[in-house]
Amino acid sequence: MTIQEFQLKLFSVAESSGFTDVEMYYEKKEVFGCQVYKGEIDQYEIAEDGGVSFRGIINGKMGYAYSEKIDDASIPFLLDNAKENTQIMYDEHNEEIFSGSSHYEQGNFFSRSLNEVTIPEKIQFIKDVERELLAQDPRIVASEYCGIRTETVSRNLLNNKGLSLTDQMNFLYVIVEAIVKDGEETKTSFEFKVTKDFQRLNAKEIAKKAADEALSQLRSRNITSKEYPILLRNDAAANLLATYSTNFSAENTQAGISFLKDKLGKQIAGQKITIVDDPFLEDGLASRTFDSEGVATKKLTLVESGVLQSLLHNQKTAKKDQTETTGHAHKDSYKSVVKVGPSNLYLEPSTTPFEAVLASMDEGILITKLQGLHSGANTVSGDFSLAANGFYVKDGKVQYPVNQMTIAGNFYQLLKNVEEIGSDLTFPLSPVGSPSVLVKSLAVTVE
Amino acid sequence: MLSKSLIEDVLTAALSTGGDFSEIFVEDRFTNNFTLQSGKIENCLSGRDFGIGIRVFKGLQSVYAYTTDHSKEGLLKAAKNAAQAISGNTINQLTPFARESFDTIHPIQLMPNEVDKSRKASIMKNAYETAKNYHSSISQVTVRYMDEEQNVLIANSEGKLIEDKRVRSRLAIQAVAVRDNQMETGFYGPGAHQGFEFFENLNLDHYANEAARIAVTMLDASPCPSGKFPVIIDNEFGGVIFHEACGHGLEATAVAKDSSVFTNRLGEKVAPEIVTYIDDGTIQNEWGSINIDDEGEKARKNVLIENGILKGYLIDKFNSRRMGMESTGSGRRQSFRFAPTSRMTNTYIAPGKSTPEEIIANTEHGIYTKYMGGGQVNPATGDYNFAVMEAYEVNNGKLGKPLKGATLIGNGPKTLQLVDMVGNNLGHGAGMCGAQSGSIPVNVGQPMIRVSEITVGGTKGE
Repeated sequence: MTIQEFQLKLFSVAESSGFTDVEMYYEKKEVFGCQVYKGEIDQYEIAEDGGVSFRGIINGKMGYAYSEKIDDASIPFLLDNAKENTQIMYDEHNEEIFSGSSHYEQGNFFSRSLNEVTIPEKIQFIKDVERELLAQDPRIVASEYCGIRTETVSRNLLNNKGLSLTDQMNFLYVIVEAIVKDGEETKTSFEFKVTKDFQRLNAKEIAKKAADEALSQLRSRNITSKEYPILLRNDAAANLLATYSTNFSAENTQAGISFLKDKLGKQIAGQKITIVDDPFLEDGLASRTFDSEGVATKKLTLVESGVLQSLLHNQKTAKKDQTETTGHAHKDSYKSVVKVGPSNLYLEPSTTPFEAVLASMDEGILITKLQGLHSGANTVSGDFSLAANGFYVKDGKVQYPVNQMTIAGNFYQLLKNVEEIGSDLTFPLSPVGSPSVLVKSLAVTVE
Repeated sequence: MLSKSLIEDVLTAALSTGGDFSEIFVEDRFTNNFTLQSGKIENCLSGRDFGIGIRVFKGLQSVYAYTTDHSKEGLLKAAKNAAQAISGNTINQLTPFARESFDTIHPIQLMPNEVDKSRKASIMKNAYETAKNYHSSISQVTVRYMDEEQNVLIANSEGKLIEDKRVRSRLAIQAVAVRDNQMETGFYGPGAHQGFEFFENLNLDHYANEAARIAVTMLDASPCPSGKFPVIIDNEFGGVIFHEACGHGLEATAVAKDSSVFTNRLGEKVAPEIVTYIDDGTIQNEWGSINIDDEGEKARKNVLIENGILKGYLIDKFNSRRMGMESTGSGRRQSFRFAPTSRMTNTYIAPGKSTPEEIIANTEHGIYTKYMGGGQVNPATGDYNFAVMEAYEVNNGKLGKPLKGATLIGNGPKTLQLVDMVGNNLGHGAGMCGAQSGSIPVNVGQPMIRVSEITVGGTKGE
């Protein structure tokens, strides 16, 4: 059964079972992945993936169900479950099936040339990365994870109000772990690169970055535990921002679990902070031309010069707040209900290079990695206490690596205490990006 | 789920280029996920996950293909795609299937799909009401309900053909307490390898009240001091410390490539004598329990550390090749989208002799952690971190004021050596563990234990 046949049958049975408005969303994904270990292929993955998600209004309420099996039996499964689900659900007649925006911008998220890169070329490249890595320094003992992966994803949304949307993206990423040992000391690093331009990938460059990052952590020392000025390197800052990005969701402000509730138009961060959401970034991992309700997406400024300008909305939250949807209806995949979520969200960079920000520090700590973000950061209260790796900075220069430490503070206070922002915007294998950020101070405890 | 002849065709196609082992994993999973917030059920999603994973080995090379296309052509294409990555001269033949059956260790009384959704909704509403009414400062309660029925078929070229049905149920309660500008949260998420009877027999009031109590207690908590302290970690989910500090480092995924701090240390003393660490997938109806692993091996009780001596690792089929050791029934995966690898099931520290009262009374100055949040470890270095949800200071053998914002950091093998008291109140807690083969249900467990020194990272200086 083709997906088109399935959709026609699903809609026709849905309408005869009492559904008024119906929508089918489906994704198709092609995946290739390969990991090497000591010059040989260790793991190899190839896949065709996908599934459908059904949404429909019956007796005025919206029901949801999904299936990965495209066959006749899935049609009653989807419809019966969606119908039953409306019976236990509270719905203020807020959710609607959308008839379409007046204009959809074209996206450019699919690279034909990337699609033409062959599997042997990808395998050769990742073998080169591992070989280059091990050749960098005798203290590099292994790479437990050295892999390359490509994905092509297409999204399709069809409804009985005449909407039929599709977009497609592809990307390639390389992840390399370096493990270095020197006497009793072991350190690791992860280096990754996301691109659509295979020709410009450089195995040696990736290997060198991974090696340098791991080696630079050797001979770490203890320092006094106290409050220090903190320079969050771009990737660490991006990971922290990603953890707290849920607060921009109007769903969370309406539920009273976001600090940004009732803060529109207010100063929530330092003057230097501007945060935007851009669904049209060419290399963005969350780029999209339409959101999960079929609304056309557009670039949105969330915070400008520290003032909260907008929240992220879908149709339902917009109605509740008596505003317009911002095109941020979001599904993690066809396996989820429509929520609210960012596309590519980032802190705007300045024109000050990283080196200049570092040079402006008298004494402090450069944080290069944060861990335990899923557990040590409370997104509701804003408090965080996170394991961290980094370097002691004195007189504007990196002095030496510091033993494992924790940094603790409150994210909302941190936003107000940002003193300087770098020009080095990065998206660390994530749709949330940031440049390096210098913060007045955070509590540091060293192991 | 697939005919025997189609399975044979797929396994044969997978071996057609010289592989020495092929395996098929068929998964058909039915799930319900409901969310209640502000007293209303806001999200209801039901679904069917269906797909097939095909794996081929040749020596120390592993190839994995998966597809949601269940047609014969789709499956053969996936098998050939996998085979393409292998090249060898000897073409291996299939061993004829011997269908294996077993008596379930985890009886299910009420299949989720036979229970009306309104009964599920009323469980959620009860939990909400209880937590919301616990205290006037509770501003929001979110209740998540989850049930799933996962049907799997596993067959391989060595003649294995086995099927299993796994049924799991879980309720997660998050309470938010507010005072002035301060917001605190509390969480409890009990789960089991059981059907709807789990919710009916659950002491719902206890879990809902605890989630609310933690949030309210934290409103009055002081910032946790920083520094090195003796730390008392209570039972149940407290076991997450050894899950991170030790469990992940004993998984063959890390051990086989010599990248674990525990590699080549079998028979060595890695912990004080009072520490015995066990992974047991056979505990009846527990959240992390299984009948068979995702490679079709029977679940078993694996003693990892016995009286301080390292006794074993958690091993899957592929890593058993690299290590030259037998599989321990530990091959697990989130779904057909992941090749299985060695993972934990229900892992716990065996009970000791001290009573919880004795442990606290014997601690002059330290930190007592009642409930833990999640954690993380780097298996290569053994460095771990995890968050504390509810903590108290301990002064002169007595519990003092509540503390918030604590994160514990340290090195797994070193922390293990510093366990100096083990309590007698073993308890297990449900969690989700994320690693190479995806996110899977596991239990962590322990009695109350004391570690003589852990670095505590708090918001207040030393």
